[in-house]
Amino acid sequence: MKINDLNIQAKKYRLEMFEKFLLIKQGHPGSIFSMMDIAVSLYNGGFVRYDQKENRFIDKVLISKGHATAALYPILRDFGVLPKKEWENWGKKESALRVFGNTSIPGIDITSGSLGHCIGAGAGMCLSYKKSILDKKVYVVISEGELYEGSTWEALLFASHYNLDNLTIIIDINSLIILGKTSDCLNLDPIKDKITGLGINTYEIDGHDIPTIVSTLDKTNKSNKLNCILANTIKGKGSSVMENKKNWHYWNKMNDEEIILTRKELT
Amino acid sequence: MHQRDIFINEITKEIEKDKKIFFLSADFGAPALDELRSKFPENFIHCGISEQAMLDVASGLSLEGNKVFVYAMAPFLSLRAIEQAKCGAGLMNLPICMISVGIGLGYADAGPTHYSTEDFACFRSLIGTTIYTPSDSETTKKVAIEVLKKPSFAYVRLDREPLQSLKPLINDVDFSNGFRIFGEPNKKRIALISHGKMLQNCHQIYSENKDKYICVDIFKSKKFPKKLPEKIKECKGIVVVDEQGPSANLSSCIFEGFSEQNIYPKIINKSLPEKYIFENGGREFLLNKFGLSSKDIIREAKKFD
Repeated sequence: MKINDLNIQAKKYRLEMFEKFLLIKQGHPGSIFSMMDIAVSLYNGGFVRYDQKENRFIDKVLISKGHATAALYPILRDFGVLPKKEWENWGKKESALRVFGNTSIPGIDITSGSLGHCIGAGAGMCLSYKKSILDKKVYVVISEGELYEGSTWEALLFASHYNLDNLTIIIDINSLIILGKTSDCLNLDPIKDKITGLGINTYEIDGHDIPTIVSTLDKTNKSNKLNCILANTIKGKGSSVMENKKNWHYWNKMNDEEIILTRKELT
Repeated sequence: MHQRDIFINEITKEIEKDKKIFFLSADFGAPALDELRSKFPENFIHCGISEQAMLDVASGLSLEGNKVFVYAMAPFLSLRAIEQAKCGAGLMNLPICMISVGIGLGYADAGPTHYSTEDFACFRSLIGTTIYTPSDSETTKKVAIEVLKKPSFAYVRLDREPLQSLKPLINDVDFSNGFRIFGEPNKKRIALISHGKMLQNCHQIYSENKDKYICVDIFKSKKFPKKLPEKIKECKGIVVVDEQGPSANLSSCIFEGFSEQNIYPKIINKSLPEKYIFENGGREFLLNKFGLSSKDIIREAKKFD
């Protein structure tokens, strides 16, 4: 897919998710919108390889920030991995889809929701591929808030030691956690120095600039080291009602005016 | 031989045939592990002193179809990484076997950080676990063979000390039942129920007074051995002995398992007190001091006279 098409696709998926939020009245729009460009680049940019014959993906994507796994649902639906009826039924009648992802949902590779688990799980998968000499990759998307979890650092050490060059970690840095800015709540900076200090190839990019996301993923694919992308993003990206507002971690009730404005901005 | 070496030897044998077995350690060793590492370095993964990451890595390996064993000292493998066990092996129904060494006061005199007197309650509460606490060498070997043949979310509790063989040796029928009974249950006898090292102590009491006691070894406490209540319901009373804290220990299994079958025998819960133990003097000293000596168990049993 061309870069311009990826931008259009990301916008379309944000709007679709917004309509779904209006229906289900719960979920995590701020976090989903902040990582949508990353998700579209991974799948529609061709980095997560799709086996059309088997109707499944060869590579894996683990959304460690499990509250944002729903960002993948419309993507998986359009690839045909997730049955359309599951998407259509979500919020209306029985559907496999949930606010947090789990492995019973077609195309979702891990059950997540509790933070700090997926770098370790991804490392286990990558180690298995290396031992079996399988050409498969794992992309793990974590939130910067997961850098507060000790298990994240344990797993980074592990992945670095075993030089898992088939693992790419993407940290969605939207600078907000539930109670406010990370810099105010408990400072995480300098994140890049900390990750680089573990011997990990680290790239810092604008997480909404799809050409940059794509070119960086390209670099990580060609690298023979463990890679980490620090993607600076905006929580609630695309909606002026939500952008950079901590309370939009969760869905909030919108008035008619806000709904019209958000639809317009996401169209 | 130590239980851990017996268990690991079986894994090593199986790796010869199945290279999709992985053994993960959080910097915890054993002579048998030295051999496994030397013979099959590709199947051993050192995870650093990082129990939480070890469990997450195990989940990833398991999701790719590998048989995974994680190995560490009991207090750290259990309580430090319990949420990783829940979110990986539990929520995704992954066949990860956790080998937990040094249960109870096994690491006397290391102090309460190294005692594992709550692990049984914690792992019993996790959904989908199978819990084994073998009480001798032969049972340990059979547990290892079972988890290798039928991988599941297993929590295997091993003692730090070697535990002598109990005769008659465990047979296949008893093993499949999840328990074995030493002696014949009847109205005049009191059942001493336990597992692991404490089962050996109960067996000693039984051996010295076979008219008065029977001894029940519940080496597989979850899923609860359903055939047990009917077998011993006639007994005069039951003393459940467990080197765990007083809450949610083996006696809870007995209370729940029996009541599910509407069988309500008299049961005494004989366990460690509700306190962290800082005293020194060795394991036997601590068991004596905190109510789990043979004399204490016999004293409790006399309440049924």
